[in-house]
Amino acid sequence: MNCQECHDYIDAYIDNELDISATILVKQHLRDCLGCQQLLESRKAVGALLDNPQVRFEVPDSLLGRIQSALPVPRSDFKQRSGSRFFIPWFTVPLALAATIAVMLGLVFLNQWGMFDRSRGNALAQEVISSHVRSLLATHLLDVPSTDQHTVKPWFDGKLKFSPPVRDFADQGFRLIGGRLDYINGREVAALVYQRRLHIINLFIWPLESGRNTAAESFTKDGYNVSHWDRDGFELWAVSDVNADDLRAFAGLQMQQS
Amino acid sequence: MNDEQTRARFESLLLPLMNDAYNLARWLMKNQEDAEDMVQESYLRAFRFFASFHEGSNCRAWFLRIVRNACYTALGARDMKQRQVPLDSEADEIEDTSPLPPVSLAKKATVESVREAIAALPVDFREAVVLRELEGLSYKEISEVSGVPLGTVMSRLARGRHQLYLLLSDRKQHDQL
Repeated sequence: MNCQECHDYIDAYIDNELDISATILVKQHLRDCLGCQQLLESRKAVGALLDNPQVRFEVPDSLLGRIQSALPVPRSDFKQRSGSRFFIPWFTVPLALAATIAVMLGLVFLNQWGMFDRSRGNALAQEVISSHVRSLLATHLLDVPSTDQHTVKPWFDGKLKFSPPVRDFADQGFRLIGGRLDYINGREVAALVYQRRLHIINLFIWPLESGRNTAAESFTKDGYNVSHWDRDGFELWAVSDVNADDLRAFAGLQMQQS
Repeated sequence: MNDEQTRARFESLLLPLMNDAYNLARWLMKNQEDAEDMVQESYLRAFRFFASFHEGSNCRAWFLRIVRNACYTALGARDMKQRQVPLDSEADEIEDTSPLPPVSLAKKATVESVREAIAALPVDFREAVVLRELEGLSYKEISEVSGVPLGTVMSRLARGRHQLYLLLSDRKQHDQL
């Protein structure tokens, strides 16, 4: 690789957008070329200045309300009108009852066969994502803002009946920025909040009856990446808009033995 | 899906993107008032076109493209009014991309000076730098938002960063004098 090619690739190299073979070529060239090393340093200096959250502009508080009132209002008067327009024949009532009972029996039957694990997972995923979205919308991301795991962990004591594992991975690019109490699946859970570049990762934790460990299962739903696993008596759900690879790396770090 | 469900789904997908949308609009329009108008306009447009948003595709890139286009339309109208050359073009940019002698920029530059330097970039480069450095988009996402090929994304970023380096090192030298 010559200097011109190195110049062409240096930004993609910094941004981890090069494939492995090109990355190796750039690395080799950089090792021997002082000029290109200086270019790399100048890029890094600029990057360091831009990597300050304060450079971004804060959204004015009034904007959310302004947008919500500007959006078209959904027609919610449908039910009132439907009452006058349609009448319900008397025989549909027992029919509906019978249908309901049949469905319930079916559900009980399915449940025994363990058919609900998947839909339980789906419902949980939906709840975890909603909780993540709420935490970003409201000014309630953090109850305890701290980058120190030794501050965050004791904070949960006395507020929860369990003590969640709290670890910081700032060195690997996942900075712990705090925690809060949240409510998932009808119970109080710990939510740890991590930052990856400009993205927020919520990690929800609650205790499990069983002590089994599972591999992380990852998927994408509604544009969010979700990863969940069981570890050392806890069920853990990570959700974020970081890319899938980053979230898998995050899950991998969390699963390492401390 | 009925209207209420559509609205709820729209809000749950799009409202969390307000920070990103505002930030992009604020950098493109260069003032708060216009940026707020553009974000509101973009939400209305996105709601109108929500049916064309495909489940599972990248919502952030889809929405930021709407924001970007709304801003460009407004910028075009603004420039027409002021009888200026439309949008900054890439042609009249500094050709020199040779590396500079190392000047240590870091740490001393204030948030204000960094913001001024970004604002001084031509709009194409500013857009690429903001999407990459401040919004954390991948090259592929930037190419979707800006509607240009990956190679163009790369060269805009390269030139944008190079100009930022020049602007910020100049400033540093001025400050020292």
